Amino acid sequence: MSLILCRQEPVKHPFYIDVLGIYIHSSQELCYVIYNHPMLVLDEFVDELLTGFIRRELDMDSLAGRMEKLMETGGRTEDVLVLFLSECDYYSDKEIQKFKAALSAIRALHPARYDKERADYMFGQRQFGKAAGRYKKVLEYPADRQVNEGFLEAVYNNLGASYAMMFQFHKAFQAYDKAYGLGKNQDVLKRIYFLTVFAPELSVKEGYGPLFTKELTAQWKHEADSASLDAGQAEEVRALRALFKKDPVKRVKGASEMVRRWKQEYRLMV
Amino acid sequence: MDGLVIGLDLNDDYTQISCFDKEKSWTIPTVICRRKNEETWLTGEEAYAATLLGEGIIVDKLLKMVLKEGTSTIGGICYTGRVLIKLFIEKMLQYPMLEFKSEKVAQLVITIQEVNAKLLDTLMYCADYLEIPREQVHVISHTESFAYYVLSQKKELWTNQVGLFELSSDRLCYYEMKVQRGMRRNMVQAEVQNQEESFNLDILDSPSGSKMADKILSACGEKLLSRKLFSTVFLTGKGFERQDWAAGFMKQVCSRRKVFVESHLFSKGAAYKGADYLHDETSYPYIFICEGRLKAEVSLKVMKRGREGQLVVASYGDNWYESKSSMDFIVDGANEVEFTITPLDSKKKKLLRIPLSGFPERPPRTTRIEMSMGFTDEETMVMVIKDKGFGELFPASDAVIRQEVTI
Repeated sequence: MSLILCRQEPVKHPFYIDVLGIYIHSSQELCYVIYNHPMLVLDEFVDELLTGFIRRELDMDSLAGRMEKLMETGGRTEDVLVLFLSECDYYSDKEIQKFKAALSAIRALHPARYDKERADYMFGQRQFGKAAGRYKKVLEYPADRQVNEGFLEAVYNNLGASYAMMFQFHKAFQAYDKAYGLGKNQDVLKRIYFLTVFAPELSVKEGYGPLFTKELTAQWKHEADSASLDAGQAEEVRALRALFKKDPVKRVKGASEMVRRWKQEYRLMV
Repeated sequence: MDGLVIGLDLNDDYTQISCFDKEKSWTIPTVICRRKNEETWLTGEEAYAATLLGEGIIVDKLLKMVLKEGTSTIGGICYTGRVLIKLFIEKMLQYPMLEFKSEKVAQLVITIQEVNAKLLDTLMYCADYLEIPREQVHVISHTESFAYYVLSQKKELWTNQVGLFELSSDRLCYYEMKVQRGMRRNMVQAEVQNQEESFNLDILDSPSGSKMADKILSACGEKLLSRKLFSTVFLTGKGFERQDWAAGFMKQVCSRRKVFVESHLFSKGAAYKGADYLHDETSYPYIFICEGRLKAEVSLKVMKRGREGQLVVASYGDNWYESKSSMDFIVDGANEVEFTITPLDSKKKKLLRIPLSGFPERPPRTTRIEMSMGFTDEETMVMVIKDKGFGELFPASDAVIRQEVTI
């Protein structure tokens, strides 16, 4: 075991990464984000704002200059990122090589698959609005050996999930409907059923009524009940219950804070 | 040079003041007197005069009072030792300031017999009160003052060993120093031995007492000087103000070596050190190993450019009171911090591991720690390790570890 000595970095204005919803206060944190979020940093991440932060806040003027020069001369984003990682002495050469290989593998993907990976990453980061936009873009690719029915089914499924997470149940149903049409997947069918639970106004009965057999609905209902029970015990819910046991002043204050947080989360999602 | 460079030898018996590049020095009893009816403070002759006339109340043993956190009540007001020593030092600084018509102190180096954390804190508090910036105030041991004094003399005086006898009313001390030439840097090793054979200086007033004192001192000289090659021996302290009582000792000590009597040796040594602070490059390019300085090196295992290395956080010869540092590290691997402590005798090198108990479990390299180090004495290092988390990715916890390490 050993320690890495941190250089003095006079960060007064931290660097905001909206997808992650966090501010970066040091070169080590920036290295960590770059290394662990390749899908985030490969496109539209390295720009003047970033090099400005590296130059002024991290006090790495020469490195920022070299990064800019590399960008100006048509260098690839991955080379700029690798340059930053190499100079910061946070990851070993071996780790940086591994990172390089991972980026190359991502770059080698079919454009449609690459865009789907990006959309999946956004979904994973709960950026459902951005994810939905990217999934729709993927659907515009012409069909070929890679962009086949199985691939499109997965994209429609994820698009449906993104809409569902934003409580846009009609759009979610339309996407799931396409996904089911392509693969007749039972899991997709289950999701459509759950949509009808959340939004009973959805008129899915005509097409799907016969598919929702007694056995399947009983099984899904059991799953939904079990999930509902688990959700009732979730930490957030316990915190909410505790909040409502407090005196009115604290309760109102706590509730307003919670609503503010939820609003913020929702804004980030969409 | 703007302002005075003052060396102040502070002890409970008397205080000596010297200034760099100035001939005049002062010896003032370490007492302070307050007039009975007004809060006016007196020192030196004035203090005794006011006391003898019954107009003032005198307080002595000021350093002991600070160490014991004692107080003195005068005119219904309770004064702590800290306040009294502050007033005393203020008065002491006025002697050179008035004499040399300067109100500014460029450097103040205080030398004391034993460097103690409580006393050091008090002296720094005094510096704050006197509005002397802390970086211009230094506290060193008598041993270090002795080394600086010797190294400021002609080189031939310290080619071999250098001895010093200090004879004051309450103690007889022997100091010895030598310069060891090394491959990289030269090292000065100086140490002090308190001699059990000390005697009251009052016995020097009678012929039989003088004879006995000479015998005691000669025996010490025989014991301490016989087996080594000395370039010079210095004599200091009230007991050596006259040497007529010590014919035997003087004969012995003056054989095959130079002998000097210097009554302001410690304050002058302190002033030499003070002057050195004014230069960008030191005139004393030595590692000092003496009381008040570290006798071991403390280093940390760190990674740099993928290679393991040692980061020295405290070095041989650093002033332990001034040896303070605070650094941030990223923990890589096991949750512990590993120190290497290397004493001068490198065979006694030891490894020390401090587990980061109570720190949250996080992915590798996502725990940032702030490590603050300092010393409470020359053998005890105190470190405080704080969890700083990893930005907003892994927020900091309240975990803190405080550990004392004997080096």
